[in-house]
Amino acid sequence: MTAPKKRGCLGCSFPVLIIVVIVVLAVVVIGFLSGGIGQKMLGQHLNWPSWLITPSPEPELPASVLFNVFGLPITNTMLAGWLTVIILVLGSWLITRRMKLIPGKIQAAFEFALGWIYDFCVSVAGEENGRKFFPVICTIFLFVICNAWLSLIPGFGSVLLGNHELLRGANTDVNTPLAIALISFVFVEFYGLKTLGLKYLRKFINAGGLFKSVGHILKGNVKKGLTGMFSGLIDIFVGGLEALSELIRIVSFTFRLFGNMTAGEILIMVAAFLLPMAVGWMVYGLELFIGFIQALVFSGLTLAFVSMAVISHEEEAH
Amino acid sequence: MEGLGISLPTLITQVVTFVILLVLLRLVAYKPIMRMLDERSRKVKESLEQAEAVKAESAKAEEELKQQLAQASREGQERIERAIKAGEDIKQKAQEDARKEADGLIVRARAEIQRERDEAVDGVRREFADLTVLAAGKVIEKTLDKKEHRELIDKVLEESTNLKKN
Repeated sequence: MTAPKKRGCLGCSFPVLIIVVIVVLAVVVIGFLSGGIGQKMLGQHLNWPSWLITPSPEPELPASVLFNVFGLPITNTMLAGWLTVIILVLGSWLITRRMKLIPGKIQAAFEFALGWIYDFCVSVAGEENGRKFFPVICTIFLFVICNAWLSLIPGFGSVLLGNHELLRGANTDVNTPLAIALISFVFVEFYGLKTLGLKYLRKFINAGGLFKSVGHILKGNVKKGLTGMFSGLIDIFVGGLEALSELIRIVSFTFRLFGNMTAGEILIMVAAFLLPMAVGWMVYGLELFIGFIQALVFSGLTLAFVSMAVISHEEEAH
Repeated sequence: MEGLGISLPTLITQVVTFVILLVLLRLVAYKPIMRMLDERSRKVKESLEQAEAVKAESAKAEEELKQQLAQASREGQERIERAIKAGEDIKQKAQEDARKEADGLIVRARAEIQRERDEAVDGVRREFADLTVLAAGKVIEKTLDKKEHRELIDKVLEESTNLKKN
């Protein structure tokens, strides 16, 4: 009873609150009626002003080529990717230009974000390897999440150049996830080879058991040779599977990110068409979350794969 | 493949974009941030160590101070004891001296008294002898040789003394 009891709700007095609720409801109802569902239900009886009519979505998977530079087709997704690069680099440069030992708010937030990814790397790959892997893992994370979140900024896809959008989320072009997946693949194989040398390849081509068993047979120890030959063949088969899974990773990386991001884009378009202004913001919240999760999954899986690649099988067995 | 939109030029461009991003971020973000984080953790470690050292030093100093205090107190106690003992010695000596002096005084006084008494007795005796000689001369009207007299009287006195002593 010390503070005077404040009348009202959610920080507004009741009249203001009621007005806000009415406005929101009106927007939702108009959106519903003017959207695809409403128009189908009511027919064309209502003539909405043209700016309220949302065009029906026409999603297309390939990115649009805007123009050619020296024969290189420049697509809107490439531009979006470059925009991400510029924003990331410029932002980092502005923050790290004048670093202080006792950080300001922005520096502290930036340090926290990178420190979080760094701790993640160290916790998965160990102190020494985590430090080595951190730059690539962190770049994957930042590139994916910024591509995803940048395309959520209202107006991002609204600028038109000719008949095409000037910018389109880079992740929704299958080439971008494929490019990151290829880099992730090369990164994993490179560190595997660098750390273990040729021993790394033994994981894929494991014919030692077979040769040994052939040697046993030649020496006359047929029974031991035959069982050895059987397990040797299994070894070879497993090695082939390992190699195959390594390649399949590229495909799964690519289509996980591409599918999620494209689906999100289409979901926003569909929501904007069917129920404009009513559910769009919920989808936006969902997309923010999905963008974060996809970035985490991409970088986390790459980190896990590279951590597995640098551990030799002999060590693992003991 | 056409439907998905996979195209080699775009793919290569995106790979190059990613590599450029990696290089640039390494330059403007990872290196400074890692340096800063390392430096901060080093600073924190250092200051912790410093605090530990200061703590240890202060504990050592306190211990030393305590020891010094104990030593000083012990020394003071010793000195006081020594002083008390010296005082006692001096007192005892003074007492002894005083007693000795007093004894000497008493002895001397006794001797003096004795001597004076003897002198007095002698004087009285001599006076008495003279008087006796005088009186006896008067009585017998005959002045005896003074020397003879004296002998006589001494003899009498001796006898009388002996008698008295007996």
